[in-house]
Amino acid sequence: MYIAKGRLSIACVCMVLGFMLAIQFRTTQDIKASMPLQRIEVLTERLQRLESENHDLQAELQDLKAKAETDTAGELNKDMMMLSGTTPLEGPGIILTIDDSSKKSNQGTEDINLYLVHDEDLLKVVNELRAAGAEALSLNGQRLTANSEIRCAGPTVSVNNVRSAPPFEIRAIGNVKDLENAINMRGGVADTLKVWGINLQVQKAEKIWVPAYKNAVRYKYAVQSDQQEEVK
Amino acid sequence: MILALAGLTVGIVLGFVFPWSIPVAYSKLFSIALLASLDSVFGGIRAAIEGYFDDKVFISGFFSNALLAAFLVYVGDHLGIDLYYVALLALGLRIFNNLGRIRQYLLKKH
Repeated sequence: MYIAKGRLSIACVCMVLGFMLAIQFRTTQDIKASMPLQRIEVLTERLQRLESENHDLQAELQDLKAKAETDTAGELNKDMMMLSGTTPLEGPGIILTIDDSSKKSNQGTEDINLYLVHDEDLLKVVNELRAAGAEALSLNGQRLTANSEIRCAGPTVSVNNVRSAPPFEIRAIGNVKDLENAINMRGGVADTLKVWGINLQVQKAEKIWVPAYKNAVRYKYAVQSDQQEEVK
Repeated sequence: MILALAGLTVGIVLGFVFPWSIPVAYSKLFSIALLASLDSVFGGIRAAIEGYFDDKVFISGFFSNALLAAFLVYVGDHLGIDLYYVALLALGLRIFNNLGRIRQYLLKKH
């Protein structure tokens, strides 16, 4: 080769080139490594913000509750709160557990749907409990209010727009004996469901707890009316 | 040749030891400067092989090419013309050209 002239200069240039190569390599590595880190930072910040927001709202809720209790129309207010389902309640009652049938259906000859718990079954049970004087009801942790729905939502059942799957747990506060009899009545709901092998268990308790309705209560269309009787 | 390789090794080691790296905003400019430098080095090797190597031309070419490439990309960024790809293509072509010449020469020689 003819590289006789300026060997040292070439070495210098090569050194600079090597330096640049190494720096570029490291920079690329850094960029690759820092991308997920940025994402983590963003998420952490968001989490912190939401947590503090949650904390503020909790404090506000406590404040409002305290204010509501010291209100002048205390007694009426309390009744209203209990009726509307915005406070958790406790008292004697029963806990019903309803689950899909464990029986094997003879495929082809019978409808498999008969062996599953449906929204209609739950509605019947709830209706029976209400007729027996249940004062507060909840289904899988969702308080049943005057506006609550029990509706089929695919393989699940939607209550207060929250979906849940079997087993269903219905809690009812009221006269324990009345409630139990209403369910276990001959030819009643329990009998009908047991034909299909649907598991229905009644558990009595001295003290059961029913959660509060958690969603906001807002009336968008209905307004109060002064009219006491319907005028035709 | 040994001196050149030694220089390259020392440079790489220095680069890894060096505490700071290029900010993300300038990494584009730096990478194009690096490509221009690579091109100059291959050009230099070719010149040496073909017998018209001049160290002044080589060194000035090395630095001015790198700076010019980076500057062009920088200006392009500000004018809204993506000269990055243009420089990339031109330099890449030149590198392959030079490599081809070097290969041809080595094959003819042996």
